[in-house]
Amino acid sequence: MENPRLEMRGIVKTFGPVTALDAVDLVVGRNEVHGLLGGNGAGKTTLMNVLYGLYRPNAGEVLLDGQPVSIGSPKDAIAAGVGMVHQTFLQVDNYTVTENIVLGTDVPGPLRLDLTEARERIRELSERFGLTVDPDAVVEELPVGVRQRVEILKALYRGAKVLILDEPTTNLTPQEVDDLFGSMRAMVDDGMSVVLITHKIRETLSVCDRMTVMRDGRRVETLERSDTDAEHLAEKMVGSTTDPGAVVEAAALGAVDAEAVEETLSSVGTTIAVAVRDLVVVNDQGHELIRGFDLELREGEIVGIAGVAGNGQVELAEALAGVRPLRAGSVEVSGRAMGGLATSSWLEHGVAYVPEDRHRDGILPTASITENLVLGSQRSPKVRRFGLIDWGAAKQRAVDAIAEFSVRANGPGTLVGDLSGGNIQRVILARAFARRPRLLILHNPTRGLDIGSTRFVYQQVRTATAAGCAVLLISEDLDEVIALSDRVIALYQGSRAGEWPHGSVDAYEVGRSMTGLGEARV
Amino acid sequence: MTAPPATPPAAPEAAGPRRVADALWLVVPSVLSVVAAFAVGGLIILALGQDPVAAFESVLTTSFNTRFGTVETLHKWVPVLLCAYAFAIPLATGKFNIGAEGQLLVGATGGVAIGILWSDLPMLVLLPCVLVAGALAGAVWSGIAAVLMVKFNVNEILSTVVLNFISFQLIDYVASHVWPDRGAGHPATVRVGEGALLPGIGQAPPLHSGVIITLVLVVAIAIFMRRTSTGFEMRAVGANLRAAQVHGIRTSRLAGAGLVVGGAVAGLAGAIEVAGVHGKMLEGMQSNFLILGIIVGLMSRGSMIAIPFIAFGIAVLEVGAGSMQRTAQVPVEMVLIIEALILLFLLLSDIARAKLRRN
Amino acid sequence: MGEITELLTLMIPAMVPFLLAAQGTVLSGRAGVFNVSQEGLMVLGAAVGFLVSFKVGSNTVGMAAAFAIAGVFGLVLAYMTTQLRLDQFVVGLALYFAALGAAGLLYREVIGVTMEPPLIPTLEDKPIPLLSDIPFLGEVLFDHDLVVYLAFAISVAIWWFMYKTRSGLAFRSIGENPKAADSLGINVTWARTWSTVVGSGLVGMAGAYLPMVYTGLYTEGMVAGRGWLVIALAFLGGWRPHLVIAGAAFFAGMEVLALRAQVAGIGIPHQFVLMLPYVATLLVMVFAFRWARQPSFLGRNYDRESRLVG
Repeated sequence: MENPRLEMRGIVKTFGPVTALDAVDLVVGRNEVHGLLGGNGAGKTTLMNVLYGLYRPNAGEVLLDGQPVSIGSPKDAIAAGVGMVHQTFLQVDNYTVTENIVLGTDVPGPLRLDLTEARERIRELSERFGLTVDPDAVVEELPVGVRQRVEILKALYRGAKVLILDEPTTNLTPQEVDDLFGSMRAMVDDGMSVVLITHKIRETLSVCDRMTVMRDGRRVETLERSDTDAEHLAEKMVGSTTDPGAVVEAAALGAVDAEAVEETLSSVGTTIAVAVRDLVVVNDQGHELIRGFDLELREGEIVGIAGVAGNGQVELAEALAGVRPLRAGSVEVSGRAMGGLATSSWLEHGVAYVPEDRHRDGILPTASITENLVLGSQRSPKVRRFGLIDWGAAKQRAVDAIAEFSVRANGPGTLVGDLSGGNIQRVILARAFARRPRLLILHNPTRGLDIGSTRFVYQQVRTATAAGCAVLLISEDLDEVIALSDRVIALYQGSRAGEWPHGSVDAYEVGRSMTGLGEARV
Repeated sequence: MTAPPATPPAAPEAAGPRRVADALWLVVPSVLSVVAAFAVGGLIILALGQDPVAAFESVLTTSFNTRFGTVETLHKWVPVLLCAYAFAIPLATGKFNIGAEGQLLVGATGGVAIGILWSDLPMLVLLPCVLVAGALAGAVWSGIAAVLMVKFNVNEILSTVVLNFISFQLIDYVASHVWPDRGAGHPATVRVGEGALLPGIGQAPPLHSGVIITLVLVVAIAIFMRRTSTGFEMRAVGANLRAAQVHGIRTSRLAGAGLVVGGAVAGLAGAIEVAGVHGKMLEGMQSNFLILGIIVGLMSRGSMIAIPFIAFGIAVLEVGAGSMQRTAQVPVEMVLIIEALILLFLLLSDIARAKLRRN
Repeated sequence: MGEITELLTLMIPAMVPFLLAAQGTVLSGRAGVFNVSQEGLMVLGAAVGFLVSFKVGSNTVGMAAAFAIAGVFGLVLAYMTTQLRLDQFVVGLALYFAALGAAGLLYREVIGVTMEPPLIPTLEDKPIPLLSDIPFLGEVLFDHDLVVYLAFAISVAIWWFMYKTRSGLAFRSIGENPKAADSLGINVTWARTWSTVVGSGLVGMAGAYLPMVYTGLYTEGMVAGRGWLVIALAFLGGWRPHLVIAGAAFFAGMEVLALRAQVAGIGIPHQFVLMLPYVATLLVMVFAFRWARQPSFLGRNYDRESRLVG
């Protein structure tokens, strides 16, 4: 390529014994939206964190406009004209939009704080690129889509020539995605380069000029948009399409149309396992985030909840797991009313919960695998003998679970905090399944997992439903929900906004319902 | 408020050679930390113009040279150890109890009250009552902090510490207004009844039998933390409060319970001091047990098994400190500095070990 | 009239140790470093301030020495928490013990056992010209020693820095979201280090003020838990310098009232009167932890390359 904007050559990054990046090259042209495509754990974000100075590479060099640059910190990256929008927004919650944007810049004088000029520039930038925000709003009060615009403006305000967007569409509705892609076009027309990190093939095909596919910390291939199609990209991302498991998984990753996957494994029974009526749940601040929610789950059925994050998913999951009290309404599991019971009673009655935030809600990082597997059943007669916990037996069960769930660990004494994300999820699943659950609640169960672990989660869900377990799959990955669920329910502002049986789901229609624009088909 | 430093005790499942290696990884850095702390302390003593060898000799040998030294060391070991538990048990749930001295004093008050009021009762009845009253009084005192924490979200570091200062005034009042011993020349209560005193062991100077009670407690606490559901739940809360909650553990109640149990142990220490050492309550009887307890608790880095051994080491240093000041003219505070240094070096050794083991 | 003026006039210097130490605590706290070694640093500051003043004959030099030695402890805290990422509470407690030990050791080495305790001259009142002539207010506010004015000036300066400057905007963001600050090129380690050093230094100065203001004597228990109350004060003020001034007035007021009541002998045993400031602290904390905000990242260490953060 003539005169590229950005070149990264032979980038190597290791974390302890793990090689996250193995001599990766990347070339991004001027006026180009460049897709960085790969499954979770492929090294896309790590590569961009190196470019942004958050990680120091062990080897390799970076050139901007043909000049070698040394980027040791985000400050260097900003000075060199690199901006990055992270998946989790790096914002100070109690600051205004303007304060967040000017933070760390030179306006005006270190011992004064005059934001009038800055405010004007922010207005001007947001108009030019179609990024509407109120400069004086406090960011913690803004919806996700707007907070993302603040992040983009932060980079533009600093005069970014290269803008990196890390999975920017995860929490957006299809309509917001279209707006974002429009803004990205406006930026490259204005002379910038944009790097789009994504695992969604459809997105790269619709907005990128060129794309680089990564897998297992290596660059697989770089392609022109006009020279490729979805099948080819899927093959490069997944590695092979001969493996039947890979098809479902590729569907979940957005590579193939979900409708093409014939769900032959469905095992929906006739008995109603879970009945939720008029459920009302409040968040920690006392706001009603779930209002009048009804749901029936049959044995062996997977119901998927699709929705934009922040529409009550966490509250719904926690209420049905018995972690958060019900404000009103009822939850029956196998005919027993669960409202008002302690979390431990829900557990005993066969409710298992795989929380969204594994590290925060799922594990004891400084405890062994054995101890983590005992967590939650420490009072059950199964783990106790003469009133005391029988660690010998618990250890034996841990050894079995490690084998059955293919946990990569040195033994049952390994501290769970030392495991990788995928292996942590395997421990959590092992614990959930050991209880032979009647209801399994999965919240974003594959987020951040590599392909092998994602596939493993899907297999385990199938095994559970085959045994008659009802599964509630709450996920922000719309493709995953559509591919796995027997029924899809759209959640909008704490209520159901539509329902579709497997096989007749239109992603755009679900998207409209998720934002309150759809015609409810309850 | 923060990730607690406590790591639950290593799981018992490590196999033979691994277990030896693990033990070495634990013992060698600890020994090096102690040696390094003494080396730095020696340099300071040199800078003060004194002889570090003589100083350390008297610090390390006083406890073992005479029966008197040994008995004194064991008598010191009891409150230091119990105050260490008072700190470490709540810490297992991630809570910092900085109130052991207040709990000890109030426990002593409870014990002394029973010992004076019911002084005519026979020992078989009175002594258990004194000890139980001490533990209960200590539990009530830390219970105030527990209620403030569970109900009102008040930071337990602050509440337990502030309660110490309240307890100083409280015992001053008891020693000067309620049961004052006017002849003592120092705020103190009158003596408790004969039946409230712990029987001595061996010839003079006798070892008080509170040491036996303490040994029993050591075993009970080890079993409690390691093998009971509640002990496991406490460690789970300390390791990750949210995850414990999600898995059905009533976390705030348990953290409050941890504080109350810690207070009970410190209160028992107060009662044992009354029944075994002083025979009465007097101002200043808390000595520096709070600080020593915290140091022991922090040095153990979460291992309940290690606490009695570390506490013994600290008791040896403390008994030696006085004779060091007499024989080598090095101020007693030197020992506190060395203890703080041991703690800091232990923390540093954790980092070094983590780095070395990774490579 | 006279009684109230006198109480208020006594309250202002009683505020000084609370102000200096609490503003120091707030300073490092807003960058995310929760220092819990205040009690030890105040004792050490009192000892060093006293001893240096005694030997050199200058309270100013004594004050500066207290600032310096406590600053060194702050540097150790900053290094161990920002570079080595050791737990802030544990390191803080270890430093508390070390400071206590150092204070006792220094006093015993320099003074030894004496029949007559050594004395240093107390600080002189320096009335501010013109302002001190205002009736009532002049007497209450503008007729004190220089450290009083300094403590208030420092409080205002810290407030101004945090809320009225660009650097302060950047500084406060570190205690709220260090990863965001770091991603914008703000140096988290440096900000945490300097604020912990300066903040600890102020705590040391607060200690040094105690022997210099009332008696000119150093006694072992003279800090009497003020170092801990200061942490309560930081929470009570919501970690905001201007509210801390109001909180300091409350704590100093309780202290002055308790002493007054003890002297006046109001019929209750004096022990209960002396309990009052501590009991009041407990009660006030119930409200403080209800409504007061604290920096979201207070007490937590930041590790840029940790894959778990954020």
